[in-house]
Amino acid sequence: MRSSSKGRWAWLTALFIAPALAQSLPERLQLCDACHGPGGISAIAGTPSLAGQPPIFLENQLVLLREGMREVPQMAASVQGLKDAEIRLIARHYAAQRPTAPQGKPNPALMKQGAVLAQKLHCASCHGADYHGREQMPRLAAQREEYLEHAMNGYRRYTRRGGDTMMAAALYGVSDADVKALAHYLAHFR
Amino acid sequence: MKRTLLAAALLAAMTVYAQPPAWQQGRPPAMADSKLAPLAGRNTETPASEIPIGKVKLPKGFTAEIWATGMPGGRAMARGDSGKIYMGTRGLGRVYEVTDEGSRRTSRVVVDKLTQPSGVAMHGGSLYVFAIDKVLRYDGIEKNPNVQPVDLTDRFNLPPQQHHNWKYIAFGPDGKLYVPFGAPCNICEPPPEYAQIRRYNADGSGMEVIARGVRNTQGFTWHPRTKQLWFTDHGRDWMGDKGPEDELNRITKVGLNFGYPYCHAKGVLDAEIKKKDACQGVTLPVTTMGPHAAAMGVIFYTGSMFPKEYQNTMFIARKGSWNRAVKFGFDVANVRPSKDGRKATVKPFMTGFLEDPKTAKFWGRPAYLLQMPDGALLVSDEQLGAIYRVSYAKK
Repeated sequence: MRSSSKGRWAWLTALFIAPALAQSLPERLQLCDACHGPGGISAIAGTPSLAGQPPIFLENQLVLLREGMREVPQMAASVQGLKDAEIRLIARHYAAQRPTAPQGKPNPALMKQGAVLAQKLHCASCHGADYHGREQMPRLAAQREEYLEHAMNGYRRYTRRGGDTMMAAALYGVSDADVKALAHYLAHFR
Repeated sequence: MKRTLLAAALLAAMTVYAQPPAWQQGRPPAMADSKLAPLAGRNTETPASEIPIGKVKLPKGFTAEIWATGMPGGRAMARGDSGKIYMGTRGLGRVYEVTDEGSRRTSRVVVDKLTQPSGVAMHGGSLYVFAIDKVLRYDGIEKNPNVQPVDLTDRFNLPPQQHHNWKYIAFGPDGKLYVPFGAPCNICEPPPEYAQIRRYNADGSGMEVIARGVRNTQGFTWHPRTKQLWFTDHGRDWMGDKGPEDELNRITKVGLNFGYPYCHAKGVLDAEIKKKDACQGVTLPVTTMGPHAAAMGVIFYTGSMFPKEYQNTMFIARKGSWNRAVKFGFDVANVRPSKDGRKATVKPFMTGFLEDPKTAKFWGRPAYLLQMPDGALLVSDEQLGAIYRVSYAKK
């Protein structure tokens, strides 16, 4: 639901301070930050940045990880037993963080190749002209390059479940080299 | 190990179609900068207190109430003899069992971690579950909740591509299991095992392709008298706000061609995949269901609760458009076919879910329908993971 009712906010606020939680929200977030980086800006290869991701995207992914739909061994223990309400709070937290530009200089040839591909594949249609993502569709700009490649390969090889099959269709027939170029371009997009 | 082998087999199968002919995402230059995108679903539970059921509008004498909640992503419903209702999902990978306890409904997850198990059907006391890449049968599940499934996957020869290959399934009056295989793209010349409806014996044997040129049907049923199959089919995207419209089709004999990818709706030629006499030999729809409407579940009403005028008319859930600047659908329509079944009128019946078509403000998306023994109509809302009950009382 897009419009959040007053009642829900009151309820979430109550939950935020409820001592009954196994772990408080700050404790949870510390756990997330340990791998995803302070403020959700990851410095670890293979671990995605969370800062500035749309809240619905984060919410959906956390549910899929909790349910074991997305099988990510490193995440299994952290998301076990998370309540839907806690997931909403974590999602809101990282959505509100500011992403920073990625490390490393862009490669002009790859940037050019990636830009042409992104236009041909209409990536911006869903992910936005600024690639900041929206709703269930993730932010791509400033995401870690190797993670973008990993995620795209997951969609086209059907190893990442729980997403819309539209991503598999969008990447259908795209070569490995082109996926690499796309990842480079999107990671460095400003 | 088994999973690795399966993945390898999938990859091998995919490479066969690495470059299918005329693969298109189908986007005219005029729509290159369009920001239209599928609408976000929800994977989390929505309590009844957050569902604005009072906003639902129905004809005089009809009432809608919240019947069950807590089944995120719940879509098609199949009812067993004891009254338990099984519900499939897509992204969340679950199948739910909903139990009516009189004053309230409870639910549990029968199976999870499947790849889009949207197809559910009850037949001879067994629950059939169709995911994109798996077929499971749960024998006697209503009496034995812990029954282990029989894996029938190998018998159905499911093709490898996923897009538009999540299923609606149903058993026909002939006792056969009807299964659609959608086009694995928005618009393309589909490889030979896609864009069709097949039927099988219940054990997966005796496969027959009964209809071709079907882009993506997510709902079908049989006419109570003629026993002919009627199905909804989603029109292609990225040809603009006008359509091509979704279709309501009727199968009068085996082997008909319904036009995809060349000829859409009532004779709209495709913008990209062209051929000479594209609509020749194509069975055109009984009626169209609106542009990008996402016409889903369909039933013929045969109950005794609703007024006589609804007898043997159809209800069709329209989940609502995404590929359209001004949103359309988000309702349940009442469709009245002519006596000969060649034409039909379409009238919105249950509305109020779409609050502002221009800003895409909506709160629910009706997806599937089930007629209860007392004649009430159950409507599943995939957006909020709920089931609503529509009843009628003379006032």
